[in-house]
Amino acid sequence: MSVAAAPGPSRGGRPPLRALAAAAPFLALVLLAPAGPLLAPHPVDRPVGAPYAPPGAGALLGGDQLGRDVWSRLLHGGGALVASALAVAVAVTFLTTVLGCFAVLSPRLGRAVERTADLVMLLPPVLGFMLLALAWPGGRRLAVATAAVALGTPYAVRVVAAAAAPLAASGFVEAAVAGGERPVHLALREILPNLRSTVLALFGLRFVEAVYVISVAAFLQLGPQPPTPDWALMIRENAPGILLNPWAVVAPALAIGVLAIGTNLAADHLLPAGRRTAALR
Amino acid sequence: MTPAPAGAAAVRAAAPAVRRLAAPALRVAALLGRRLALLTVLLAVVFAAVELLPGDAASATSDRGEGAAGVARRRHLLGLDRPVAERFLDWITALPTGDLGTSARGTPVTGLLSAPFPNTLLLGGTAFVLTVLLSLALGCWAAARPGGTVDRIVDLTSTAAFALPEFVVSIGLLLVFSLGTGWLPAATLTGADGSPSDASMLVMPVLALAVPQTGWNTRVVRAALADQAATPHVEAAVLDGLPAHRVLLHHALPGALPAVATGIATSTGMLLGGAVVVETLFNYPGVGTVLAGAVADRDTPVIAGVVACAAAVITVVLFLADLVRARTLGARP
Repeated sequence: MSVAAAPGPSRGGRPPLRALAAAAPFLALVLLAPAGPLLAPHPVDRPVGAPYAPPGAGALLGGDQLGRDVWSRLLHGGGALVASALAVAVAVTFLTTVLGCFAVLSPRLGRAVERTADLVMLLPPVLGFMLLALAWPGGRRLAVATAAVALGTPYAVRVVAAAAAPLAASGFVEAAVAGGERPVHLALREILPNLRSTVLALFGLRFVEAVYVISVAAFLQLGPQPPTPDWALMIRENAPGILLNPWAVVAPALAIGVLAIGTNLAADHLLPAGRRTAALR
Repeated sequence: MTPAPAGAAAVRAAAPAVRRLAAPALRVAALLGRRLALLTVLLAVVFAAVELLPGDAASATSDRGEGAAGVARRRHLLGLDRPVAERFLDWITALPTGDLGTSARGTPVTGLLSAPFPNTLLLGGTAFVLTVLLSLALGCWAAARPGGTVDRIVDLTSTAAFALPEFVVSIGLLLVFSLGTGWLPAATLTGADGSPSDASMLVMPVLALAVPQTGWNTRVVRAALADQAATPHVEAAVLDGLPAHRVLLHHALPGALPAVATGIATSTGMLLGGAVVVETLFNYPGVGTVLAGAVADRDTPVIAGVVACAAAVITVVLFLADLVRARTLGARP
């Protein structure tokens, strides 16, 4: 795809204001999600009203399918999602960056990366983590996170390799090769530092993808189990009552939506135009 | 694929024509062979993964209190006591005939999937067609005035749309079409044959699948058109004073097709995977229900069967994308 232009000097250093504004919802949710439980007015595991009670005096957003307080469960339900998405995004970005830097130096590794990405493309992620959830019955969140890393890495390595390819052919890397530098030095000291903007944007996109994978797994009840409060699980559990108390479903859906869209828009600002298309999945 | 042996003299006489026809045929065969090899490797990996799982189909479905002897008998009955390589060979050679193996409960997997898989294909296929049409239309509309208002709005909404999980989109659709207007029922009603009772049942599931993928592919189309706009032949067409829509559709779009085809082909997996999720929410009678049951029962043969079907469909679409790419790039060496 369109990865012709050399990455050039990083656009980092002084983040533009618009990128900060775009990142605001993401940052707010990432900071608020762990603090949510402190603000919850009710326990998450006991009913405070009738099942699917409409919003009222006792409960800001009404009750869920067991009459538990939707607002309290909403405040509790994002921390683990955000934390595991961050962990997956960090792991994939790290693995991908290191592998990508070596892949452009070694044609054999490069080909192996291409083949693996072609192979993983044949396996819809949903089916991939169903298989892993079966293999690892007690794994829960860890199993889902492992599947997300395993299925997300091959394609993302391609992106880093595409961004690093022009660098590998550039004068300073060739000079270092001629100087007899070892591959480890070439990959980590010569190529990696010039990929900052790509890596930063990749991290944002991997976070979006991780939110997708982890929330879909939770929705399919492969991750956290009831009665854990979790945004995706709340949507699954309360969907039958959407006509009685829409907020029990809409509030967690909004939370996931704001998290995903906010992150995506922020990541979009970090990546130079044109490179963007190649950078996801 | 070699040309049919039709007499050496005739072949020699028609040599240039044969070569002209045989070269593309060979290239197509090579592309197809590569895709089939990848499919076979994936199936081998999946089969090996299923093998490595702790516990097999016989013990997963054992009744409470069933003795070890009973489990062993059923393991023999299901053929699980034979070597792995032999069973893989049996499984994969039976696949092309439509035999997907035996589920943990002893019923043929093909029988379990024959009713729901076409429903899922209908859902995914409709969403696929809608995605192709919408993303081409939106991408071209945005590219008509680069940097204009339409371009900026399409860019923003497509970026927002492709970040959303399908089930979040579904909730939005339910709010609008069921709760707000009451136009569509919130769950799928099925007819006597187990398929959706009428086409309106498909509207929300299809939209829920198509919205994120349209967002993604609109960006692919837009970026590919931007790349094409910078090529000399498109710049020449602009300088010749051709109307903008003519330049876009006749000069820029053909060159953008390989990138677009690849982008849309990679969406197939997301559409099939997303279908499983959306079906759960709308009670749509597709493989989602079968899969949910199979996960609960730890019925790995069923899941391997669904993986095989999905991977085959994705392989076909990727092969078609290969053909589009070969055709466009072959025409302009």
